[in-house]
Amino acid sequence: MSHMSPILWIIVALAVAGGLLYVAVRRTQRHLPPLTLPQGEKLPKTALQRLAETSFIAVATLSAAAATIVVFFGVEAFWDRDAVRLSATGFVLAALAVFTYYSLRVAAWSARDDGKLDERDRAILASAPAAQAPALMVTLAAWMIGLTESFHTTAEVPTVFLYLIFWSCTMVTVASLLAGIVVGYRRS
Amino acid sequence: MTGERATLANSIRKLRLEHGDMTQQELADRAKCSRQTIIMLEQERYVPSLVLAMRIARIFRTPVEKIFTLRDI
Repeated sequence: MSHMSPILWIIVALAVAGGLLYVAVRRTQRHLPPLTLPQGEKLPKTALQRLAETSFIAVATLSAAAATIVVFFGVEAFWDRDAVRLSATGFVLAALAVFTYYSLRVAAWSARDDGKLDERDRAILASAPAAQAPALMVTLAAWMIGLTESFHTTAEVPTVFLYLIFWSCTMVTVASLLAGIVVGYRRS
Repeated sequence: MTGERATLANSIRKLRLEHGDMTQQELADRAKCSRQTIIMLEQERYVPSLVLAMRIARIFRTPVEKIFTLRDI
């Protein structure tokens, strides 16, 4: 167990957490009447739903790209080689830029009273942060277990992991908020 | 009622068709909500706020209690 990389621990823990979240979502889903639409017609998406889905895909892809760089080149290379560190940081900052754009659009829609963001959207938006705390707890638990297992013998954790913990928590917070909105529309 | 669950039935679809085949999008625009919300309302998958219910009642010029009725499930 102690030979397993902390990054792999994170990936395994997030996969397990994703599975548990899926089961929890299915078990707590309200029993609603079936949705019937005219043949060939799909449920139209709301503006918030489209924006949240697009932003989630972008944030998840950019975060995955950053994580891939760290895993592929290794934590030491990430710390020692500027090109590796700047590339990974660039992807993370791009993901944050996407989230900033999302936040500004939602804030602008909230200020208007033209139905762009209606009461159902606002209810889904209000319930979305419920996914953040569990996701963050799982991420921190994964880091704690991974780092403890990896550095138990030396009792010294390299400083680079502070950097990685911060960015992973930030990305998980952002992605889980967007995921909460996407899931909110599927559940209601 | 003896504490059973209830849902809010409505006659929005019927009223929409009676009002010159008003489309869901037209109603959504006038009620300041999305078409998805109108679809969810018509299929009784969403319970509106009092504000939205009264906006819809005003559009159809019908008392709100004639559009929305409590139904035990």
